[in-house]
Amino acid sequence: MKFLTKVSPNNRDKDHSTQGIMAELSVGLMVVFVFSMVFYFQEYGMDYVIHGVLLLVTAILVALVTEAVFALATKKSIPAHLKSSFPLVTAIILVLTVPISTSLFAIGVASFFAIFVGKLIFGGFGHNIFNPAGVGRAVIVSSLMGSTVADVTTGATPISSMGNAGWMIKDAAVTEKFLEQFGGLTNLLLGWYPGALGETSALLILLVGAYLAYRKVLDWKVPAVYIGSVFVFTTVIALVNGVGMWYPMFHVLSGGLVFGAVFMSTDPVTNPTTISGRMIYAIGLGVLTVVIRLQASLPGGVVFAILIMNMMSPLIDKLTDGWSIYSTKKYGISVAVTFVVGLVLTFVAGNGLEPRAIEFPREGGGIAIFSDSTANLPTVDSATEEGDLMVYVLSAPGYYAIETGGADNKIEVSIDKASGAVAKVAILEVNDTPGLGDRIDAASFLDQFEGISFDDQEAGVDAVSGATVSSLSAIRAVRVALEEFNK
Amino acid sequence: MSILIGPMKLHLNGHKELTSHGEVKDIVAGKKVYIPLLPGTEILVKEGDAVKKGDMVAKRNDHFKVPIFSSVSGKYLGVECLEHTTGRMVDHLVLENDGAFTFAQPFEPIDAEKASKEELVEFMMNAGIIGCGGAGFPSYVKYRGAKGIHTVLINAVECEPYITADYKIMNIQVEELVYGTKAMLKMAGAEKAIIAIKKTKKDLITKVREAIKDAPGLVVEEVPDQYPMGWERTLIFEVFKKRYDKLPGEIGVIVNNATTAIAFSEAMRYGKPIMDKICTISGDGLKAPSNVRVPVGVSIGDVIEQIGGYAQEEVRIIGGGPMMGKTVSTDQVVINAASNAITVLKPDDSFAIACLRCGRCNDYCPAGIQPVRINNAEEAGDVKLLTKLRADQCIECGMCTYVCPSKIEVTEGVRRGKAMLQAQQKK
Repeated sequence: MKFLTKVSPNNRDKDHSTQGIMAELSVGLMVVFVFSMVFYFQEYGMDYVIHGVLLLVTAILVALVTEAVFALATKKSIPAHLKSSFPLVTAIILVLTVPISTSLFAIGVASFFAIFVGKLIFGGFGHNIFNPAGVGRAVIVSSLMGSTVADVTTGATPISSMGNAGWMIKDAAVTEKFLEQFGGLTNLLLGWYPGALGETSALLILLVGAYLAYRKVLDWKVPAVYIGSVFVFTTVIALVNGVGMWYPMFHVLSGGLVFGAVFMSTDPVTNPTTISGRMIYAIGLGVLTVVIRLQASLPGGVVFAILIMNMMSPLIDKLTDGWSIYSTKKYGISVAVTFVVGLVLTFVAGNGLEPRAIEFPREGGGIAIFSDSTANLPTVDSATEEGDLMVYVLSAPGYYAIETGGADNKIEVSIDKASGAVAKVAILEVNDTPGLGDRIDAASFLDQFEGISFDDQEAGVDAVSGATVSSLSAIRAVRVALEEFNK
Repeated sequence: MSILIGPMKLHLNGHKELTSHGEVKDIVAGKKVYIPLLPGTEILVKEGDAVKKGDMVAKRNDHFKVPIFSSVSGKYLGVECLEHTTGRMVDHLVLENDGAFTFAQPFEPIDAEKASKEELVEFMMNAGIIGCGGAGFPSYVKYRGAKGIHTVLINAVECEPYITADYKIMNIQVEELVYGTKAMLKMAGAEKAIIAIKKTKKDLITKVREAIKDAPGLVVEEVPDQYPMGWERTLIFEVFKKRYDKLPGEIGVIVNNATTAIAFSEAMRYGKPIMDKICTISGDGLKAPSNVRVPVGVSIGDVIEQIGGYAQEEVRIIGGGPMMGKTVSTDQVVINAASNAITVLKPDDSFAIACLRCGRCNDYCPAGIQPVRINNAEEAGDVKLLTKLRADQCIECGMCTYVCPSKIEVTEGVRRGKAMLQAQQKK
């Protein structure tokens, strides 16, 4: 007989293991991914699905290779390292946070950064300060936004449209029209619209999240408090600005909030370790998300809120250190104070938001030339008289300029001095996506402008398919030129 | 407020069905028995002396007075230093068993209804009644000078997995439970005695309720099937919703184990000290887990041989239940007066990976401290932080290791932290 000894206790919870938690989380994430693929298949076709799957494969491969090389470099067994490092979860989350138009190059770089910079250099799984997928996403947002795939494009997302509208719409009719573009709040809940791959269907994510919480894979309190705080904060903003309950609902349902809350904010490694700490953390996420959305130009806010709060985790742990049963009063006060401070901050950020005019697609297709919008207006570089014509050269922000801060498109608009009608539009320079944005330099598009004058306030043109933003730069250039001519 | 600090307790798989239905098997003592002696114990016999079952052979004589009685008749052979169920090496009296079990009553019975409070406390001390929940704390100490006690709480929870000994004993000796409890009620000067039983043990609850029908002041309270419901602090918070600093006496409560009440009753009614124990010998490392009635001092190996042996070549033998019991390195370790279980388990094949900081250990810690933070502080050698984190409050219940999904020995880390703290305080 051999009698083995070990330190007590000699009993383990066999139903829960970190490996099991990560496996179930991966399955939950894959459910969301599959939903997204079904959407793109139905609405855009198989090419989109292939690209979506390639994004996932690329992210996973890069993650695995990065881990394997790290294991080699640090002289660890590769299989043992992979089994306890969980690169799969990071890679899937990362893919679910990016739009379908993201290039394979961009996702590969982001996946490398997520695994290496986000996790391994801190000492590997369990020691990372930041949510690794969040790091990868931030890399894309901050430096690879322009790296997109030409033939894979979709319409505007609710969150960026709302951002262009200045995060405030007060007119009831405009509100209705605005929400109708995305199929209303109900569709925002269901998620049948283009956006970041996994972030659209709030309903599906909540269902998956509820199941994972039931399985104790994640702590339901973090997403509940996070989403709840955003709802309360934005309800206050809605009340102050006199808009309806659609406003907080929009905040909750759009921009990957539910996805971030369920799958990213619950990452235990980057969370505080006490329940009270996690509540403070979740409220902090709510505050930052709302403030970033309203006051910064960043569309989502969720990823950056998570990365910032990740840094706060050690501090929050320090705050809650002690003998818990005799600290409940302190914990309660800390949670309440965080909430009140958040309420004040978001109130300040949301008070006096001015609605900007919104450009809507015209009924029956096409885009109206004239509108009240003041967003992304071109500037007139020069105005010269050439015989019968008045020739304007304008710098118009296109996709490249708007999304990444790159150079504007240069557009020449010639107006007949006698009739005041557009004689010719020429594209001098396009900086948008090659093969896509530069298709605005096609006669079929540009010829539409001929003959339109300032009096034709209802006039409109069809945008180049798949290059709405680039088309808009030309449309706005024509509008500004006509307005300039009629001053 | 569990919403802010977590549930602090958890339902565990009890594996109680392994032994709860079977008969209690009688174990025959072998040629020699070994009676463990705690430090500070005075030996009252000389080598070669003849002893009878029931003879007082030693007496703990430090700040506590605890007589120790022989469990067999035969001859005293001397002292040997052997491993104890706690894993420590302690002196054992070696007694040669003549197999006759000639009994000599060491003290006269006492009538609890007629005796005074002081007489009962004195009797309890002289009868060597110790806590039978596992720790073996002398019971009379709780009653000596007890003041302002309103409730005696009889702990019949038995929250450790595998153990059904208390359940069995109460089923067999429910009249002794009532008699012992009534005496304790009198000694404490309390109005009420609450017998706390897990709500899942329906048959036992019915039986005890029936038995206390005519006993004023005795009530049964059903408590949830959670670990560590049998820990004094957890049980008191469950029953009274109160916490205390050091001892339950601060809030007017004395807690005693149900088996202790039964042992006390047996001493009062029949003049019989603790010489035999009913123990649960269970676990997946055994062929036939059973409850046994075993004389104190019989080795675990002898007991297991008599109930069918081990299930495989490599096992872990745990002195007690799998949560708080310690593994021992040999089955020559003996059943002592405070034993209630031996658990024999197959080897543990789990391997630890990095902490994912999920905080489960914090949420479920019954002491309301933060095991993961204590582990971090211990690794960093930060004694100041260990003090703030109240590492001294750990009772080593094992919950943190149990819930850890990364299979880290969290409890061991806290134990080290506690030791570091104690070493610092001694300086």
